[in-house]
Amino acid sequence: MFLSLVAVGFIMATFDVRASGTGLGEVMREGTQSMFTPFQRGVDWVTRPVIGFVDGAANLAGLREENERLAHRVRELETQVQETDALKEQVAQLESISGLEVPEDLAFVLARIFSSGPSAFDNVRYIDKGSNDGIVQGQAVVDEDGLIGRVDLVSADAARIRLITDPIVSVGVRVLATNETGVVSGMGDGPLRLEMFRATEPVYEGNRLVTDGSRFPPGISVGTVRRTADIEVGFVLRTEIDPAARLSKIDYVKVIVGWSAIDAGLQQGEVASTTTTTSTSTTTTVGG
Amino acid sequence: MSRSRVVISLVAVLVAIVIQTTVFGSGGIQPLGIAPALVTLVVIAVSTHIESEYLLLIGFTGGTLMDLMGSGTLGLWAMTLTVVAYAAGRLKRRFVDGPWIIAGVVVGLTALSQFLFVLLATLFGHGTITQPGLLSKILLPGVWNLILAVPVFWFLGRAFESRQRGVGVRRA
Repeated sequence: MFLSLVAVGFIMATFDVRASGTGLGEVMREGTQSMFTPFQRGVDWVTRPVIGFVDGAANLAGLREENERLAHRVRELETQVQETDALKEQVAQLESISGLEVPEDLAFVLARIFSSGPSAFDNVRYIDKGSNDGIVQGQAVVDEDGLIGRVDLVSADAARIRLITDPIVSVGVRVLATNETGVVSGMGDGPLRLEMFRATEPVYEGNRLVTDGSRFPPGISVGTVRRTADIEVGFVLRTEIDPAARLSKIDYVKVIVGWSAIDAGLQQGEVASTTTTTSTSTTTTVGG
Repeated sequence: MSRSRVVISLVAVLVAIVIQTTVFGSGGIQPLGIAPALVTLVVIAVSTHIESEYLLLIGFTGGTLMDLMGSGTLGLWAMTLTVVAYAAGRLKRRFVDGPWIIAGVVVGLTALSQFLFVLLATLFGHGTITQPGLLSKILLPGVWNLILAVPVFWFLGRAFESRQRGVGVRRA
């Protein structure tokens, strides 16, 4: 019986890998999640205040230090806000010249995390909003610090988020300092991996990375470069990134529901075709 | 073997999964950033109360549910907890030798389960073996399980005992 069960487990794993997590496996995952959600929410509702109290008491010693750190951070941010206002004016001018439209005030759904994966090797969180609230697979999930992950599995009143630390999640990013693009992927835990395949300039420690708009809305903070790195042979650049969001302590998140990569792609296509048509007609007029 | 013992074991595994994903989940109780492996502990704890064949089924079911709730490939935890159930079934006769044996089995089998999962996940292409902080993820759950073993073994012992008394009263 032991060997039979191990064999069944192996067959299940093989089928799941071949199906890439879709098909029967996905249906079973959705069913299991729907079954457990009411119990998980109930336990979370009962235990959250107690856990919060225990957590607070345990961290009492570190609160003074944290307070000082935050006060220092506030002073830094106040300076940055003044600089940002000046930059915003410049950006607005540049946008009006180039005809670009940057998506602002994207519609989002606020959700609370009520459970996570059952082992230390899982990079998933469950939120209390689902398809009834307009959530669909693939949407970006953020908090006040930056990108957290993407919606991976959706049921009527709950959804699963796959964190950016998961090795199968890849995010297209842009380095703010150089405007060059690359791909950030998870390593299971801790820092993220940045790979840039057509880099022409090095990246430096502290350089900020934002989403490039290929799959998630552009401009969402992803992280900062942990180690300075230069271009290797073949124009490849590899280094590690510290995630912008504090992934170990997420409570509330925003699911961005007012943006889709397909729509954004279509809009870009329309802009491109309009530009082409305009330039052609201008040429014709000039030629004529 | 009474059916009720299997039902109690199954309920214990389901409760363990709910507690694992909420109380010991993200934002919950995770000393040094790592949570205990409660489902593994329950599979070990019920081993003295049910026959080995049923224990294998409980381990397999618990593992499958963990796979369905987690982010990995389906079947990996199922295989892992089946192995844990098999080992616990073989070792349970030694439990009467004293609490040190139980402590050793709890720590050893929990670490084995974490290591086996890492191995299987790596074989199935998840690259788990290269994760940062891997050693603590393998070893710490065993330590936390050792602390939790006292209440879990006590609680499950009471649950099976009360069920046994209920059956005895009905027969009398």
